[in-house]
Amino acid sequence: MRFERRLEQPRWLLAAVPAGSIAAAFVLMAFVLLATGHNPGATFRRLLDSAFVADGALTSTLVFATPIVFTGLAAAAAFRMQLYNIGGEGQFYWGAIAAVGVALYLGDQGVDSTPVSILAMSVAGALAGAAWAAIPAVLRAFARTNEIISSLMLNYVAGLVLTYLIIDSHSYWRDTETFEGQTFPLGKTIPEEAKWPMATLDAAGGIVVPLGFGIAIALAAVMWVVYWRTRFGFELQVIGDSPRTARFAGMRLRRKILVVMCISGAIAGLGGASFEGDFAYQIDPTGLQSSYYGYTGIVVAALALYNPLSIVPVGFLLGGLQNAGFTLQGADFPAGLVGVMYGLILFCALGGEVLVRYRIRFGRDVRRGAPGVPATEVTP
Amino acid sequence: MTSQLLAAGINDSFLVVILASAVLYGTPLLFAALGELLAERSGVLNLGVEGMMLVGAVMGFWAVQRLEGTGISLAAAVAVAALAGAAMALIHAFLVITLRANQIVSGLALTIFAGTAGLSSYLGNDLDLSGAPASHAFAGLDVVGLGDVPVLGPIVFDQSALVYGSWACVVAVGLYLARTRPGLNVRAVGESPAAADAMGIDVTAYRYAHTLAGGALAGVGGACFSLQITPQWVGGLTGGAGWIAVALVIFAFWRADLCLLGAYLFGAFSALPLTLQARGWLTDIPSEVFQSLPYVMTVVVLVAVSSGAAKRRLGAPAALGIPYVREER
Amino acid sequence: MRQITKEFPGVVANAGVDFEARTSEVHALLGENGAGKTTLMNVLTGLYRPDAGEIRIHGEPVHFHAPRDALDAGIGMVHQHFRLVETLTVAENLILGWHKPRFWLGTRVGRRQVRDVSESLEMQVDPDARIWQLSVGEQQRVEIIKAVFRGSRVLILDEPTAVLTPQEARQLFKTLRIMAAEGHSVIVITHKLHEVMAVADRITVLRGGKSVATVSVSEVTPRSLAALMVGREIAEARRVEREHSTGDVMLEVEDLSAVGDRGGLALKNVSLGVRSGEIVGVAGVAGNGQRELAEAIYGIRQVETGVVRVGGRALRPGDPRAAIAAGVAHIPEDRLGTGLAPSLSIAANVVLKSYRAPPVSRGPLLLVRRMRELALGLIRRYDIKAPGPDTPARNLSGGNLQKLVLGREFEGEPRVLVAAQPTRGLDVGAIETVHGYLREAASKGVAVLMISEDLDEIRALADRIMVMYEGEIVGELRAEASTVEEIGLLMAGGRGA
Repeated sequence: MRFERRLEQPRWLLAAVPAGSIAAAFVLMAFVLLATGHNPGATFRRLLDSAFVADGALTSTLVFATPIVFTGLAAAAAFRMQLYNIGGEGQFYWGAIAAVGVALYLGDQGVDSTPVSILAMSVAGALAGAAWAAIPAVLRAFARTNEIISSLMLNYVAGLVLTYLIIDSHSYWRDTETFEGQTFPLGKTIPEEAKWPMATLDAAGGIVVPLGFGIAIALAAVMWVVYWRTRFGFELQVIGDSPRTARFAGMRLRRKILVVMCISGAIAGLGGASFEGDFAYQIDPTGLQSSYYGYTGIVVAALALYNPLSIVPVGFLLGGLQNAGFTLQGADFPAGLVGVMYGLILFCALGGEVLVRYRIRFGRDVRRGAPGVPATEVTP
Repeated sequence: MTSQLLAAGINDSFLVVILASAVLYGTPLLFAALGELLAERSGVLNLGVEGMMLVGAVMGFWAVQRLEGTGISLAAAVAVAALAGAAMALIHAFLVITLRANQIVSGLALTIFAGTAGLSSYLGNDLDLSGAPASHAFAGLDVVGLGDVPVLGPIVFDQSALVYGSWACVVAVGLYLARTRPGLNVRAVGESPAAADAMGIDVTAYRYAHTLAGGALAGVGGACFSLQITPQWVGGLTGGAGWIAVALVIFAFWRADLCLLGAYLFGAFSALPLTLQARGWLTDIPSEVFQSLPYVMTVVVLVAVSSGAAKRRLGAPAALGIPYVREER
Repeated sequence: MRQITKEFPGVVANAGVDFEARTSEVHALLGENGAGKTTLMNVLTGLYRPDAGEIRIHGEPVHFHAPRDALDAGIGMVHQHFRLVETLTVAENLILGWHKPRFWLGTRVGRRQVRDVSESLEMQVDPDARIWQLSVGEQQRVEIIKAVFRGSRVLILDEPTAVLTPQEARQLFKTLRIMAAEGHSVIVITHKLHEVMAVADRITVLRGGKSVATVSVSEVTPRSLAALMVGREIAEARRVEREHSTGDVMLEVEDLSAVGDRGGLALKNVSLGVRSGEIVGVAGVAGNGQRELAEAIYGIRQVETGVVRVGGRALRPGDPRAAIAAGVAHIPEDRLGTGLAPSLSIAANVVLKSYRAPPVSRGPLLLVRRMRELALGLIRRYDIKAPGPDTPARNLSGGNLQKLVLGREFEGEPRVLVAAQPTRGLDVGAIETVHGYLREAASKGVAVLMISEDLDEIRALADRIMVMYEGEIVGELRAEASTVEEIGLLMAGGRGA
């Protein structure tokens, strides 16, 4: 088996890889299920059913998809430049904390305008995420510290902050008034006016689209335009391809590293804000830390080959998977199935990505071709 | 009589307890770090350590429960854990060595696949492993009866077989790299696979072997949790130890002896919250502050190590993270 | 070797090549860059498997599945880029992949072996030195010792004098003749005609992937060899007398010092000046500070002391953007890794420096269509062979890459051009083209600082020649008054008149 580097990337492969990976992963998953005594056909049917077909399935899929589209965009923004921001998880948490904090504060101040709340929560979430990402960013830009480990460690710290705010203290975020709140640790719910609106589509029996999803789609489009059609995006392309060349061209690398990491964090933080404003309405440490929105976002980004426009549909599909995993969890539905599937999908995507870059040749084939054929000339 | 009382007193002191716990908590870190060290020395970056540890933990636990009462249950459990870890590593190895995939994403995929929301929980659930404690656990062996010696007793002489095994591994790995032919070869593979290939060394084989060995050691590291420290099966019981191990390798400048030092340092950080709590010290400071210490200190140490100009010569194997293709132009 | 054929994606490197080497001879494999010499030898050493053809040793056919097989068969190679592991010692590199000692390595391992071989070849080498501590010439010696130690009867050297001073090269030739006298087959891959005449017994010429002639050295002259190499008569690079006058000093370097990658000072108080319209050549063996000089002037490398002035105004050190703004263009040694973004399109690379302003961008937006137009124009003007402006840069061949970089730098209408190894790895046709562009730039008033390891090139193009040795300028000569010996002496550290 030999590998030959491809000279061009065929377009169709770029779409085939995500699709093929998911398909291949399902096949592999079937084997795993069989091996552990479950019925793959039945399991998959229940999966697809609760993800997309059942009443209200699409709505709840969107609930799961929205956060991971945000974190997927966040990951893509950074990974494209070879900046491995694994800290999306923690940046998401901080976005949630900041957004809820702001919403509660506005409520206490008597502000009851929903647009103001949405704006304030979004800005707060984005800033908080950016600030949390700034730490590994600064360390990477100035102390050449590996951002993978530093951003990852901060995820654990952020998780501990969540736990502290709700479970181990009586912070501003904690609900100490209601009956339930006095019995066990619970987060304060944000006021009605701060809850983000939803749009209801008439298709398929009424799909409820949260505001966050709309924002995410717009964000993806903006990202695409910025990356491919602006000077800033051009610089990111060059840096992501060859930092030495970027320096040669006079680009300021350190600044870009900081900016891109903070943008990535801001997007993740915005995701946290959307999560609170659209769905959760309160800080729930256990729920947040067991959902792994940040890490799932990385899977989404990798699967979508870091293309913002692909991240939305991929996020939707994986959101369906996560929805199914959540809805169906219980005694007879395998726990941890979702993580296994994600892993398999990612493995298949990685394997598939190889096909994009290389052509595989088996054995030794002797070719008789015209010697020394040069590349064709350009006819302007 | 008096000396025994004195000895008892010292051995209950905070310092001794912390140090003894540091060794205990540092042992999984040490195993995992040694494993990652071997993989990275051959040029393969494996970020899936956390996942491999968890799968090793759950499979080791399963083995000890299944083999309850057979007398070899613990040894067999460790072996099973090692195999499980190696099996996970095989996936990563295939993807990055044979298929030349991106090593960072593949490692992350492995962690997601095998980690807390993945295979380890799947197995833990399916095999009905949570709830009951281990039928057999590793405990301190009072070696040569010196377990009560002041200071050194609890720290050095009263540790479990796993701890002593880890010490043996440190020596073995260190000697292997510095003084054996395969160790020389793997150093060459990690620094300059082209040169090694030209000298007739099978780069692929070495990378596979060392990545699998890394997985096996990570599995054993995971077993330290489920077979001694906890000793139960709880989803995600490694709590990020795998990631700390990856940082440890960098901190140790890819040397086995410094891995030992680093592992116990971080072990101390991990042991701190519980030890303080047990004594009721510093209770006004929220426990989360102490719990975050291992993670924060990892970053601090990493910064200190990375910004040193020594990085080039005392540092990473030059070919780390880069796939080797013989015919690439 | 018979009818060897080897292909890579997009190019046929060897097509039906026949080659034979006898014992006790030095056989030169001659050809331009890209003619297929290195590929052929890589097949011989087992690194590549031929798509067709066979290899025979002493009449017996052999099949190599991996480099180890070739090594076992007695074929050793000293590559252009050494296959040495930098962090290991000389002794460790020597025994790497060897079957003795089998498992345990003592602390004194390999030392005796190193000494045995180096003494028999009359070389000096410290077995415990780590490779990164050695000079390039010393590293080459380690490679030769390594090959001999493994019992190579056939020794192949790939462009061995590229990194040596003329005196060191002569020493090498002496060593090679000693080895031939002892019965080895020595194959030297080169594109330098005078080397071939100096050391070889027989010569095989490759052109365009095919073998065109095998002759003995007594039958040919440099001129006829050159004709065989390119398939047409060419004149040796001749000095063209400057027709235009030079202007004021445009580039001024004063007391420049900079730290190298390994820690010590790579540049020590270097001062020089280049006038508009003048070509100043910087000669010297690779690794004596030339690369650092170019990088420091252009701003890619931090400066410890000293100042760089363009047109009288000092540049902010360590900032390529300042250099670009002042009109300094740079052709880096590492074209694909530093001068271009390999995966991005030609169009993207064309605007690498000009993207910040109209017409390529308006405000924050990048005008992609204009980018492609500019690229098409450049492709046409500089005759770059490529399918189109969207082709990734890495798909281009060496010569076209260089044309792309050159074209881009020239388009910026620079006042100063710092060219580092501008023709390295190019075939004769491309070299002529590049020389033409450099001369044209000078005639338009650009101050050209040309760094090159090729003495012939420098003597042909430069008005003045500076020689660098260990980070300092050790001599300055007027080109027409210089001889190769003088320059070579300076390059080796002897201070001439």
